[in-house]
Amino acid sequence: MLRLASKMALARKGRLVLTSLAIILGTSFLSGTFIFSDTITKTFDRLFTDVFRDVDAYVRSSSFIEVPFGGEQRGSTPIDALPTVLETPGVADATGDIQAFARIIGKDGTPIGLDNGPPTFGGIASASVAGLWTIEEGRLPEGPTEMVMDRASADDGAYVVGDTVRVNAQSGSREFILVGIATYGDISSPGGATFALFDQPTASEFLLKPGNVDAFLVQGDGTMNQEELATAIQAELDPSLKLEVLTGAQIAEETKNQIGQAIGFLTTFLTIFSLIALGIGSFVIYNVFSITTAQRLRENALLRAIGAERSQVTRMLLVEAAVIGVVGSLLGFFSGIAISQGLKALLAAFGGEIPSQGLSIAPSAAVITIGVGTVVTIVAAIMPALRAGRVPPLAAMRDTAIESVGKGRARLAVALVVLAAGAAAVAASLAGADNLILGLGVMLIFAAVITAGPLLARPIGLGIGTPIAALRGITGAMARQNAVRNPKRTARTAAPVLIGVALVTAFTAFAASVQTQVRDAIGEQFRGDYAITAPQQGFGGLPISLADEVARVPGVTQATGLGFAAVKLDGESRFVAVIDPASASGLIDYSMVQGDQRSLDANGILVSQNRADANGWSIGDVLDVQLVDGSARSLAIRGTFDAQQFLGSYVVNQETFAGSDTNLFDAFIYVTTDGSDGVRDALFTVTEARGLGTLQSRDEFVDAQSGQINQILALINALLGLSIIIAVVGIVITLLLSVYERRREIGLLRAVGMTRSQTWGTVTWESVITSLYGAVSGVVLGIGMGVLLIGVLSDDGVSAFTLPVGGTITILVISFVIGVLAAIYPAWRATRTDIMQAISTT
Amino acid sequence: MLLRMVTAAAAREASKVYGEGDNEVRALDGVTVEFEQGRFTAIMGPSGSGKSTLMHCVAGLDSLSSGSVTIGEHELTSMSDGDLTRLRRTQVGFVFQAFNLIPTLSALENIILPLSLAGQSGDQQWIDQVIDTIGLRDRLEHRPSELSGGQQQRVAVARALASKPAVIFADEPTGNLDSKTGQEVLSFMRRAVTDLGQTIVMVTHDAVAASYADRIVFLKDGKIAGEMHSPTPEKVLDQIKHLGE
Repeated sequence: MLRLASKMALARKGRLVLTSLAIILGTSFLSGTFIFSDTITKTFDRLFTDVFRDVDAYVRSSSFIEVPFGGEQRGSTPIDALPTVLETPGVADATGDIQAFARIIGKDGTPIGLDNGPPTFGGIASASVAGLWTIEEGRLPEGPTEMVMDRASADDGAYVVGDTVRVNAQSGSREFILVGIATYGDISSPGGATFALFDQPTASEFLLKPGNVDAFLVQGDGTMNQEELATAIQAELDPSLKLEVLTGAQIAEETKNQIGQAIGFLTTFLTIFSLIALGIGSFVIYNVFSITTAQRLRENALLRAIGAERSQVTRMLLVEAAVIGVVGSLLGFFSGIAISQGLKALLAAFGGEIPSQGLSIAPSAAVITIGVGTVVTIVAAIMPALRAGRVPPLAAMRDTAIESVGKGRARLAVALVVLAAGAAAVAASLAGADNLILGLGVMLIFAAVITAGPLLARPIGLGIGTPIAALRGITGAMARQNAVRNPKRTARTAAPVLIGVALVTAFTAFAASVQTQVRDAIGEQFRGDYAITAPQQGFGGLPISLADEVARVPGVTQATGLGFAAVKLDGESRFVAVIDPASASGLIDYSMVQGDQRSLDANGILVSQNRADANGWSIGDVLDVQLVDGSARSLAIRGTFDAQQFLGSYVVNQETFAGSDTNLFDAFIYVTTDGSDGVRDALFTVTEARGLGTLQSRDEFVDAQSGQINQILALINALLGLSIIIAVVGIVITLLLSVYERRREIGLLRAVGMTRSQTWGTVTWESVITSLYGAVSGVVLGIGMGVLLIGVLSDDGVSAFTLPVGGTITILVISFVIGVLAAIYPAWRATRTDIMQAISTT
Repeated sequence: MLLRMVTAAAAREASKVYGEGDNEVRALDGVTVEFEQGRFTAIMGPSGSGKSTLMHCVAGLDSLSSGSVTIGEHELTSMSDGDLTRLRRTQVGFVFQAFNLIPTLSALENIILPLSLAGQSGDQQWIDQVIDTIGLRDRLEHRPSELSGGQQQRVAVARALASKPAVIFADEPTGNLDSKTGQEVLSFMRRAVTDLGQTIVMVTHDAVAASYADRIVFLKDGKIAGEMHSPTPEKVLDQIKHLGE
């Protein structure tokens, strides 16, 4: 039995290859994701083990705020406490450490490192063994004018020892003399980040706050273990300083975990897309099995006629599926290695460069990939295998039958029931139920559309084919008929296109809507002529002092900065917008509902009307706010403003942070000018020419801000690209099988005078109709999903739906091209049909 | 015959060899034959005699190993695939034993298929005449699956006639039909020659079918083995018996 099954599987090598191809593609993304995440996790683990090799204890502030969207901000450590640590018995050496924002500016005035890429740090270079840095060339920096940078940045900026280098940090933009080049552990730069290093007093003053560092790195003298050393240091420290001591192993582990968490997010994100790809792949597998079992009808009927039982035929096909599944997923697993490199390149292209050393493949990656791939293949083969078992032995005597077209009414009923269930779930989630219900509803709607596919394929395919038939004459007319002659097959072939296109359309529609709203919101709030935007949002930014410098530029009438800071508000971590109400007046407009924006003092806060309503706050209520260094503020609500979700829900005065350790930066500086000639150039000299942000006119700024979502959209679409490739392969496979099945027909057409190019045209147009059928239904479904998504998210500030006209047209054009491309090989095969052989087989 | 016959198609010294060395099979071995315009010629012979190969080669579906083939003025031997295809479209009509019609096209669409492929509308009057002769005017919008076997073959003959080709080749056109339906198709073919002045070359192994022809060419072992004019079924059977010895 097994021998017969594998023999029959191997006898049709072409079919085996085609089916495997779908599985290979489906599983390769999954295995690629696993290998990718294993590799970067290993790389970081090695890196931090290496970096903290000589650190036995780590002293830092115990006060911190978890930043919304992951990570944390911690209070600083007074350098005054260092002697206490050094005097503790068991301590051989200790040094301050800083990892704060600093941007090294290249010789051409542009910052080194990627915008939105790995962070750019400033830190301390010290002689201590516990220090993380090793001077490779030159010497350590001394005094306020000297610096050292990492090897990678030096190479990138073509800097050599002795050069003058501009660095931007919290305290402003300054020039230093490069006296040395350092390496981090054994590598030139960790994770593609850039580092500017100074002696401790300079670093503290320039990067943080004079007298403060982020942490102490401590090396023991070997008389006690790490735990004993940490306990000993903790005992010596003044509790009022609120410092905590970790062992070297703990801080290494914590750093690894933080990175691991970030990688985890990324892995989850990628896994979602690989599962989509595999799901789409399973459709292709199902389709191939369905077609091939239909084509093998006589073969199976013969088996039945000579005494095979139904279950034997079914089992034989399932064994065949299992063999193909194992072989395909195995190959898919290996292709995953290439995919993992592709993913790395893809993320690098979108600014997320990730370091990796070598390749790390966990055995679990292989086991999961092959397991999932095989199971998916077998599941996809169940229905066709059962159908094959039901073949009556008599069918062996009859001519090959086309797949039966199922009972339309039953199918329609099932589709409608599923659709109703989906609609109910969606309605529930619109009414406020969990987002999981929405996901379920969307899946059900997809399932309904796919179930109804065989019923829709004929009318829609005929509709799409009408203009083609009118324009292309007989080849078009035949392509149109061919595309709909087997609606089940067409629907199954188009399903992957449908799913892919629906997802792309939904994301595009969503992005277009968000973009419109961001544009409106920013346009309303920002009243200036120019804006200067920090290169990296979230970490560092523009020095607070820059706004004043800009204000002094001749021709500038007003300039104000807008920044963001993480605080704990009523016990929850929140980002608050930080403004200077005096200079902001008339330049940043928070369309106030109640109160006055200008009344925002150091002890006040503005909240969005939404938040105020939700929490039952009113003007005059006092909110407890805790800053990053643990200091508390009581802020009275001075006013409420119209909900502008993209601009934050809370606004505080810069002065609120006075005397605290919070690192404040501006994310934007807004500028009004008198419109005089040369004012833009003058602004440019002070800002962008010194590597301080990007100078944009009002229109440029609004475009750039609202266009940011396009980057995410592009990444999502790129990841959906693999699904599209699988869809194309699905069309190729179906066409090949159809061409094979219709070889007599093609032979006849060639005999009565169809030229090769006409044959090519017929196959191509059939492919285009199939592809467009998938695309058109996908676009309709996708727009529906987009509308739904906006509806569900209306509470979060996205309310108006914008139809992505350009995006939709692009999708349809791409689908057309996909149809043409997918037909190339099958069409070529069709033109090679041997007329003699085709017409003489009876 | 007083009228000088014009040749519609001809093969000269036509040979077709499959395989090499010991495996060599000579399907055609130096056959020279002419098919006159306006006549109905049948090619007969036992299985493996080369009758189908001869027809396929003369019709431009298959190529010769040596020798030459002409249709009308056209020498086929040196033609490219594209030229051959266009020649088949305009100068040649085909009727096969089975699977003659494209299942997705209606009867009428099948009839005018060669014209459609050539991007022409054809001679409407002629097509009407052909349709009337096959007597299926009320079934023109039907798909092949909705027609009987005999009706399907009549549509196939109509398709072969539609472009007024120089010659129509029919390969066992009644092979899949019962004798009554077969005779319907044959008498229609006969009328196409007699009334419409067409040229038909038909391969068959059925003596009754062959008796509808004006002339029969007998083939054996890839060579011409005889000829018969104005055949009757009895004469044909007699000749076959003779050939078999």
